[in-house]
Amino acid sequence: MKAVAFAAVTSLVLLFVWERVDIVRIGYHIERLKAQKVLLERERDELRVKLSGLTAPERIARLASDKLGMMQPEKGQVVVINIEPEAPANPVVAEGEVRIAKNIVTRRAR
Amino acid sequence: MASTPFRSRRIVVACGLVVAFMLVIARLVNLQVMQSAALTVKADRQHQKNVMLEGARGTIYDRNSKVLAMNMDVPSVFGVPASLGNPGVTARNLSPILHVKATELEKKLKQEKHFVWLARKLEPEQGRRLERLALDGVGVVMEGRRFYPKGPLLSHVLGFAGMDDRGLEGVELRYEQYLRGEKRAVVLQRDALGRAVFPKGLNEEGAAGGHSLTLTVDEVIQYIAEKELDEAVSRSNAKSGTIIVMDPKTGAVLAMAVSPRFDPNTVGALAPDRWRNRALTDTYEPGSTMKTVIAAAALEEKVMTPGSMIYGENGQFSIANTVIHDHEKTGWMTFSQMIQKSSNIGAAKVGMALGEWRVFDYLKDFGFGDKTGIDLPGETVGLLRGPRQWGKRSLASISMGQEVGVTPLQMVTAVSAIANGGVLMKPFVVSEIRNAKGQLVAQTMPQAKRRVISADTARTLTTLLEGVVTSGTGGKAGIPGFRVAGKTGTAQKVDPRTGAYSSTLLVGSFLGYVPAEDPRLAMIVVIDEPRGEGWGGVVAAPVFRRVGEQVLNYLGVAVDEPVKLAMAGLES
Repeated sequence: MKAVAFAAVTSLVLLFVWERVDIVRIGYHIERLKAQKVLLERERDELRVKLSGLTAPERIARLASDKLGMMQPEKGQVVVINIEPEAPANPVVAEGEVRIAKNIVTRRAR
Repeated sequence: MASTPFRSRRIVVACGLVVAFMLVIARLVNLQVMQSAALTVKADRQHQKNVMLEGARGTIYDRNSKVLAMNMDVPSVFGVPASLGNPGVTARNLSPILHVKATELEKKLKQEKHFVWLARKLEPEQGRRLERLALDGVGVVMEGRRFYPKGPLLSHVLGFAGMDDRGLEGVELRYEQYLRGEKRAVVLQRDALGRAVFPKGLNEEGAAGGHSLTLTVDEVIQYIAEKELDEAVSRSNAKSGTIIVMDPKTGAVLAMAVSPRFDPNTVGALAPDRWRNRALTDTYEPGSTMKTVIAAAALEEKVMTPGSMIYGENGQFSIANTVIHDHEKTGWMTFSQMIQKSSNIGAAKVGMALGEWRVFDYLKDFGFGDKTGIDLPGETVGLLRGPRQWGKRSLASISMGQEVGVTPLQMVTAVSAIANGGVLMKPFVVSEIRNAKGQLVAQTMPQAKRRVISADTARTLTTLLEGVVTSGTGGKAGIPGFRVAGKTGTAQKVDPRTGAYSSTLLVGSFLGYVPAEDPRLAMIVVIDEPRGEGWGGVVAAPVFRRVGEQVLNYLGVAVDEPVKLAMAGLES
């Protein structure tokens, strides 16, 4: 009987110690994950700044004209007109409006 | 039974143990009770670390949630001179990464200090290279740095934040209290190696970041305005220029461009003059664009109708011992023609028909002489004196846009009132404020200040202003497929050397809205001191057309009148 009681008490003590040790171990693991999270957040912010810079209208316009030879439509080349909502001519076109490019300009020589 | 000597030894050992235990207990009492307070403080100092946390500054977005300004943690490098073996070698290793001369770094590293900054707020890549180098006596800490990824775009509105992450200009300054991250002191429990220890470290929450702002400005419209303005200023060799594009129904600013621009990422070397937002800090004499307000007053007060006849005095009109000239010699003309031809003499006579107080009251009603109340710092009220301070010629001068100082923002706000049917709106640039969790904190709703003219008067005036573009001085502002209402303005500036109006220092402007029937855009273009032909109809009206055409296409606004097919390939 005494042996059983001794074993039970010892087990409880060991369980308590194991629990404390495990809490500390998990705590360190959590701290490592938190540090990793901070690094990932920094990387995310860096990518957001890069993305924002790369999608700047000024840069896109420069690349479009310098690399792709694109140019602004000339005066009056793009006309947006209203169409009747009950007669959608083309399902791809946004509801209520259609853009008509009335002139195809020869692509500028690069 | 134990013998006597053995028993006595036992007693001695027992007494010894008792004394030893007594000593231990005494020591424990001494440590735990007597020195408790002092030792607790000492232990806390070793186990706990006080850290001042500051949340990141909030992000600024355009109306389509495109990032315009945001914070990022970047490396700053410091040196500990006492821990350095050879400052010269360390300086030579650091120099190519920090882009600082080795001699300068060596000088810093030889100082008799425990801590010295070597370079602050570097690019992330520089930090990674420094970490790989792992130099003794050199450390890296992360600090928040403000980035403006679009470069100079919208710089005069955004403003900038300083090295200490505090807003110094523009929206950054005006909304400092919202953008600033939370500052919070926390206590972290640490182990012998200095690592944070569970559970205390885990429960400490980081400081909340600042609120984010959503602007009314659209980055694409802003880009179009800046590009066209820069080209116009450069083409005309002008001193500076301003464009403001506003939604006339709400007062929301869609674009506010000032030329020359500046890059808020590298503001340190620039003179304050470069980052001043001239759209609301600088006043100018508006010239003929002011005739829109005089015309509105005359129509509202029924002093004039579009068909009322005015005599143009054949281009010369004497008043208070001075002579007012028109660039075109005109006899009789209708009120409508007076607006189209931008007759100074006609405007002076309309002003005189209204009288001093009515002219003054309408100018005040349209917002001149007062701040518009826009949510940007540095706005000026302009210059509008009361009639008691006017001279004999003042009424005529003010009616044609002289002797009065206005800001471009006041002018575009006033014309928006005509465009939207007669209601003066309060302009604004920030539409939403959200906290770090994305919850809505505040939202700006369009705010009507007052009705300044009736809807009927606004409609009649719109027809007159359309005439300016179809058959008047503003022909170059015409946009194919759209009815444009507007007014040109050319004002002489006072020459600082002579103190008199100069014939070469001019301000050319165009003020208008489109489509005239149901306006989506109100816009002002101001070109300051253009060289050569400085007429508003020549330097500013074409810019209005180019910006208006591109923005209407971008917004997908349908044409409101038949379009002439006059393009190559379709032309007969």
